[in-house]
Amino acid sequence: MSDEELAKDLGPLAALTIGVGTMIGAGIFVLPGTAVARAGPLAAATFVLGGVIALFTALSASELGTAMPKSGGAYFYINRALGPLFGSISGWANWLGLAFASAFYMYGLGEYVNTLVGAPALAVGPLALEAAQVIGLVGALLFIAVNYVGAKETGGLQIVIVLLLLGILAVFTAVGLLNADLESLRPIAPPGTTGEVLPVTAIVFVSYLGFVQITSVAEEIKDPGRNLPRAVIGSVLLVTTVYALFLVVLLAAVPNELVAGNDTAVVDAARLLFGQYGAFGFDLSVLGWGMLLFGGLLATASSANASILSSSRINFAMGREKIVTPELNEIHDRFGTPYRSIAITGGLIIVFLLAGNLELLATAGSVLHLIVYGLLNLALIVMREAEPPGYDPDYEVPLYPVVPIVGAVTSFALIIYIEPLVVVLSAGLVAFAILWYFLYARKRVESSGVLAQWILDRSEEMPDAAVSAASSVQPEPEGYRVMVPLSNPATEKHLITLGSAIASQNDGTVVAVNIANVPDQTSLAAALERGAHDAAQDLLDRAEADAETFGVDVETHVVLSHRTFEEVFDAARTYDADVTVMGWGEDAHGSPGRAESAIDELAYSLPCDFLVFRDRGFDASRLLVPTAGGPDSALSAAVARMLRAEFDSEVTLLHVAEEGEAAEGRAFLESWAAEHGLEDAEFLVETGDVEGSIERAAREATMLIIGATERGLLSRLVRGSLVLDVLYDVDCSVLLAEKKHERSLLDRLFGSGARGEDADERGIEPAATSHGNDAAPE
Amino acid sequence: MSTDLFATVFVPIADPDDAGETARSIAPYLEPDSELLVAHVVPKGGGVPDKASVEQREEYAEEAYETFREQLPEAVSMTPVTLYGRDVGETIVEGAVEAGATAIVYTPRGVSRWIDLLTGSVSDDLLENGELPVVVLPGDDE
Repeated sequence: MSDEELAKDLGPLAALTIGVGTMIGAGIFVLPGTAVARAGPLAAATFVLGGVIALFTALSASELGTAMPKSGGAYFYINRALGPLFGSISGWANWLGLAFASAFYMYGLGEYVNTLVGAPALAVGPLALEAAQVIGLVGALLFIAVNYVGAKETGGLQIVIVLLLLGILAVFTAVGLLNADLESLRPIAPPGTTGEVLPVTAIVFVSYLGFVQITSVAEEIKDPGRNLPRAVIGSVLLVTTVYALFLVVLLAAVPNELVAGNDTAVVDAARLLFGQYGAFGFDLSVLGWGMLLFGGLLATASSANASILSSSRINFAMGREKIVTPELNEIHDRFGTPYRSIAITGGLIIVFLLAGNLELLATAGSVLHLIVYGLLNLALIVMREAEPPGYDPDYEVPLYPVVPIVGAVTSFALIIYIEPLVVVLSAGLVAFAILWYFLYARKRVESSGVLAQWILDRSEEMPDAAVSAASSVQPEPEGYRVMVPLSNPATEKHLITLGSAIASQNDGTVVAVNIANVPDQTSLAAALERGAHDAAQDLLDRAEADAETFGVDVETHVVLSHRTFEEVFDAARTYDADVTVMGWGEDAHGSPGRAESAIDELAYSLPCDFLVFRDRGFDASRLLVPTAGGPDSALSAAVARMLRAEFDSEVTLLHVAEEGEAAEGRAFLESWAAEHGLEDAEFLVETGDVEGSIERAAREATMLIIGATERGLLSRLVRGSLVLDVLYDVDCSVLLAEKKHERSLLDRLFGSGARGEDADERGIEPAATSHGNDAAPE
Repeated sequence: MSTDLFATVFVPIADPDDAGETARSIAPYLEPDSELLVAHVVPKGGGVPDKASVEQREEYAEEAYETFREQLPEAVSMTPVTLYGRDVGETIVEGAVEAGATAIVYTPRGVSRWIDLLTGSVSDDLLENGELPVVVLPGDDE
């Protein structure tokens, strides 16, 4: 047997019972009282409606589960498809939703135990606790402890518990059926109850949380392609049927008044029903009472246990994507459990249990799961539309796209019927998850989702606002990133050498991007099919090999586009470059000169520092840096410093002063050099004609590094209207440096063209601190 | 006929710390031609969901192998073996027999009795196996 098969030891029955065992929890044992009080006999309909809504999502979850049988389930699929922003939302919602649900199960457990022992309510200082809360607290501590030390369950325990539960419900249903009186179901809809159906559905929906938990252990299921959909869909169908029968019989067999508003109604109903029978002179009411009581305990316990376990899987998956710190998932060296994750989840359960009431806990659990379910359906649509490589589900949703659309709409719509307070609470949580992404996770996560990549790869066909929003929420990995757009094999090596040198000086990463030009006549989708990606890959493979000789990390991407030059700016944003090193030549990046205003607009807003290399051979032995001060010359100084450190270059600084002011010019150059860590360079002060001086000095140099003297230099460069003709006249290679100037995040999110004048946050300058106090204030 | 006890050694490691300690303890006994199989058992539920995600446990195993390798002398090579099983001790013995090991070699971890009671002593399982010699090496830090 292969390792993979050995790791998978959950058979079809075990998988099914995870779903059924998690779902048949407190919901059916506790909520009939609330449901009947508000909806009368229509309570049965609310359970069916909940099941139908769950079924749509179950179909979507099945497809995603067979395509990606990975730890973490729903969170994992949403993160993969919709990206880390939604990953953060779904991860937090799923985690906290499970904690709320577990607190609800424990509350239910407390109600049941309380029926048995009749514990008194407790008041500790200002905290007044119901008896059920106190018992639930003890129960919660017990389950947290069991999961913390990871006590060994016997393989069949879960199956036995679920079969026992189903047996108890079946016996009750059968006995109820013998005593059913259809009259007690009338009127089916007492006045005022029809309007309660949807709100009550929203409350009882907590009884359907659990089928997605099967997907969170998908990696452990044998033959997931077959068993996972069967378990997920089967458990929803089974549970819905059981609930519906159970409720109809309950309401037909005992007076509605006994059920309405009673948190342990099924126990009282059982006592009444079984009390009519006797055996060997015994009254069986105690048997019925005990059976249902036992069922309630088993059900709440198995639900809570499965939820705690499932939440640690979600934590693990979140930690793996760096949305939370991976330290959360440390494994206990003795118990072999992710003890920190379990302890924190346990703490949350206890806080929620103490702070909430039964209905609040149930609805909070429901809303948060509904958010996850809605997103899950959207994730399926994205995966189907984008068809990322490797997406090959064994099970496919029928009637696509109807099923996921209905699933998403019904899941989100049901939220509307939930208590506004709970919705506000949950909205706050979503806002927290969004802030969490931007303030904490964004710098740490590495992978972007399928959706963002799909939009960015088609940036021309998509509305600007979508492209802009997609690139604005991309992860911002930490560390220094040097993007090198490549298109011409002839200049690849020199650009990569330059980029790698800068990356190596900053412990950074080289991001080689091949922006493959697709003729306007060809659609991007058609180009993709013709293998444009594969063709572009060759160049990147070479770039990767070249960069690796410098010992820097390399990342490669292919972007298909109709407009190669403009795409450079988009790519710099998408891949979060700190500096872009690009070529400039006759055919370096598309034909300059067209779409002037568009380029102007783009080049006016540089997303990062730009170094534009006019390649006349790569030789960094003698560098010439002309300066007249200013931020862009500071950038050229920083580049010179880095090249000197990497290639041991000689650096010459040139300043062209006004006629007769040579002494002042020298003083300026000395202080400028000191400021930029280039004191030991050779100083050259000339007077008179700037371009002539540069040209003369360049004869001795191998590379001229020159800062843009004003903004928009790049745009003039592509339009061919550069004032400094000298750049064309010199014989050595030229490196033009222009600093980042960026529109604000808000502008980009809404795609407005406003030109902000934001100060530079993270350009090339602050990174180069190896030369003492050279960080020039700007 | 005589067989070198250290010809093919099967070394179970429990976690990265244990891996480092075991590697340091075993290094002096290894011959250049010794075959070194370093095993980590991913505990399985055997019909119930596992205590921790399998993917997570596999990462953990890699981390342990890495620590082991770092503590080994350059010249010695090791082969990592990941096993899956419900009963850790039993899985180690089965894995060692299957791999044709000449001995199971490990360093015991000092554990309090009540934790042993809760989690079961792997050490006892190894010592009680009737098939292979077991060498218990003293750890380097107590």
